[in-house]
Amino acid sequence: MTRALSQVAVFGRSIWLQYVALFQWATIPGYIGYKLILPVAQILFFVEFGVFATGQQNALYFALGNALQLTANAGIFGVIATVANERQFGTLPVLLGSPANRLVTFLSRAIVNVIDGVLSVLIGLLVAAIVFRLDVWHGNLPLLALCIVVISLTTAGLGLLFGSLGLIMRDAIVVANIIYYGLLITGGVNFPVSRLPGAMQTVAYALPLTRGVEAAREAVAGASFTQVASLLAGELAVGLAWAALGYVVFRAFEGYARRGGLQDAY
Amino acid sequence: MTYVRAAAAAFYISMRLRFISGFAIMGFLVFPLILAAVGLFVLNKPGTTATQWTYGLLGGGLIGYWGITYLDAGNGIQIERWNGTLEQIFAVPTPLWVIVLGKALGGLVWGMLSFIPTIALAYFGFHALLPQLDAGRFAISFAVLTFSFLAIALSLSPLFAMWRWAFTMINGFELGTYVLCGFMFPITILPGWLQAISALLPPTWGTRALYAATTAEGPHDFVAWWVATVGLSLVYLGMSVFLFRLVDRRARATGELALV
Amino acid sequence: MASPAIEVRDLRKKYVTHRGTFRRTKTENVALDGISLAIRPGELFGLLGPNGAGKTTATKILTTLLLPDSGSATVLGLDVVRQTSALRRRIGFVFGGERGLYWRLSGLDNLRYFADLYGIAPDVSKRRIGDMLKRLGLSGREHDKVEHYSRGMKQRLHLARGLLNDPEVLFLDEPTIGLDPVGARELRLLIRELADAGKTIFLTTHYMFEADAICDRIAVIKKGSIVAEGTPGSIKQLVEDLGVVEFEAAGVSPDRLRILRELPGVSSVSVADHEMAQLVTVHCVRPADVMTQLGVILEGIELQRVSSRDPTLEDAYVQLVGEGESQ
Repeated sequence: MTRALSQVAVFGRSIWLQYVALFQWATIPGYIGYKLILPVAQILFFVEFGVFATGQQNALYFALGNALQLTANAGIFGVIATVANERQFGTLPVLLGSPANRLVTFLSRAIVNVIDGVLSVLIGLLVAAIVFRLDVWHGNLPLLALCIVVISLTTAGLGLLFGSLGLIMRDAIVVANIIYYGLLITGGVNFPVSRLPGAMQTVAYALPLTRGVEAAREAVAGASFTQVASLLAGELAVGLAWAALGYVVFRAFEGYARRGGLQDAY
Repeated sequence: MTYVRAAAAAFYISMRLRFISGFAIMGFLVFPLILAAVGLFVLNKPGTTATQWTYGLLGGGLIGYWGITYLDAGNGIQIERWNGTLEQIFAVPTPLWVIVLGKALGGLVWGMLSFIPTIALAYFGFHALLPQLDAGRFAISFAVLTFSFLAIALSLSPLFAMWRWAFTMINGFELGTYVLCGFMFPITILPGWLQAISALLPPTWGTRALYAATTAEGPHDFVAWWVATVGLSLVYLGMSVFLFRLVDRRARATGELALV
Repeated sequence: MASPAIEVRDLRKKYVTHRGTFRRTKTENVALDGISLAIRPGELFGLLGPNGAGKTTATKILTTLLLPDSGSATVLGLDVVRQTSALRRRIGFVFGGERGLYWRLSGLDNLRYFADLYGIAPDVSKRRIGDMLKRLGLSGREHDKVEHYSRGMKQRLHLARGLLNDPEVLFLDEPTIGLDPVGARELRLLIRELADAGKTIFLTTHYMFEADAICDRIAVIKKGSIVAEGTPGSIKQLVEDLGVVEFEAAGVSPDRLRILRELPGVSSVSVADHEMAQLVTVHCVRPADVMTQLGVILEGIELQRVSSRDPTLEDAYVQLVGEGESQ
């Protein structure tokens, strides 16, 4: 009973820290800047560029792709912020010293960010649909919603890796930035993945977002679940693989910390 | 003379710090390269015109150039605050604007580096060229655009230092400027009301002149655009004089120099 | 009499803070409540007080980093509000601590940079930096990045930076805080040397022995007001009628301490927890009377090392700033 309670306590503390991390800019201007202006500006930029480069008829293509990519912001940077907060609040040693279930602790970091990721996409899509008068409403909306949730989960999976790396690497956030913006190239967000050179296509399909974006595009075009099931399954598998790698790094860090290598971490 | 030496020292020290900063290196190397790559891959299809390729070739570099100016030079004062050296900087006899000017010039030089990887990618990866380049007018337009970036950096620096809400909106404004100033596409495709906002930003006119110098098509009102860029920049510089005085007064009144 | 190097008249400053996002509440905190000081040229003046008393606020106003709400202050005859540019050339300040240096640059780079910002000619700054590195024991480490310096080295680098422009007045805000005893002692000796060489030094500290050891004159500040001013000797005289009774005991309850406090002639009782016992210090007018009462008040408690002694500057400080707030 005590063990279960302690697990719940650590889990709860982790969730709380994520919440704080998420809302560390909790002023109204901060929220507006981060949750509204940034996503809208990104979508606006790429839609306008896309229309300039390929024609007005492709506005939805660019809007949908970029709205979906926004979830990676919550998934990647949200988790890193959680880890940074754990370090700042000094709860990292507590976390590592506790008998709590490691997997539960590890996964708990991503929960709030998954929800935030879904919200980001919804806001982005809604704004894009209104501003550019895009017709998303005739597609398979429940399936699109499912795709959004799946992408949020898988990008959070990638975020968990960076969260763990952030414990042992000082500049993990720089790498995270590169990957986040790199997803604009690999994710099929602004152009078909088939335009990439062969090797890069392999990388694209090894990262989250790629299959999910394809599935979402199909959903907007009216596809049924069975038509995109394999894409979604593939997307989930990729996300799980990155999360698993993140978990391995997390446990490796624990071993490193126990052997006295905590100086860099703090 | 001492002001020149102080600005040069600020320039030099800020460059030294940029060379050892992962973020600064990412700013000129990775981020503009990624955006340039996106643009070039989007354009890499049958039917892309020479003008569109020009935007792909120069757009990434302009975005990097502007991004660094905005984030790095614009945060000239904030960076000192985060570093814990703002009090020391304030207390020297050299006025704050001289120090920020030195750092902003460093930011501009660093930002110019963005053109190297992006143009290299465009040329070697996608064979994009500027066959109708008017080198002279291009150079003047580039210089005038640089001046506009400097003017904005000098006015943003005290603004971000004083009002942290302005800073929290930073990412949105940065991307918004890519749209409004026409770095990667002509602003003529934007709705009228957005174009009206664009017209108030000095880089809009400098960018327009820059792209016009790469093609024989379209209007070529260079003098008008250069004058508009410089004129608007001077307005921003005027604002910055007022803002620097204000930040000096406000920081000393509230005692916030030491606060992060 | 020569005009003061530093003159402060009825200086006041309060901070206003806001809390909350939607329902914002305003709190005012009075940092300086009308202080007045006059410090002679060449004097080593100490401003002594507990944390939050207003020492740093006073220092920041005098170094032009903070504007007072009212009152006036001049340093070297220059107004700290209106003549900042001229004043900044002639003063130096050291706030110390971990911040205030460019960590990723070397000590030498830090000094050269600030020398340029102070407008010091290159040949002069080169010579001065060389001299200072030697004097402050940083020679041989000047090319190392500041992030690899020890706490003491950083403090010395701060001091080197503060002396770059050969200031006539030097402001030191708690310069020995966080240093080991040897490092702190060396720094104190250096500060005394600088004063002996003719610099006016304004030092803040909450270490009474430090002020006693090196300052020519001291002012004690409590909650934004000066409560005593004079030489260390004259401040001790404020409490010369007081004696001190000290004893060690384990488990002295708050009730018994209260009874002790209420004894006639007792002005304060402070308790410090040591490993196995408490050290109780009683400031009183007639120590002998208190000592005879101890056995009655503390019946059943084993007392050890009961003694009475004359008051020190620390005792005077405790008297002036309040119970239990001594260092």
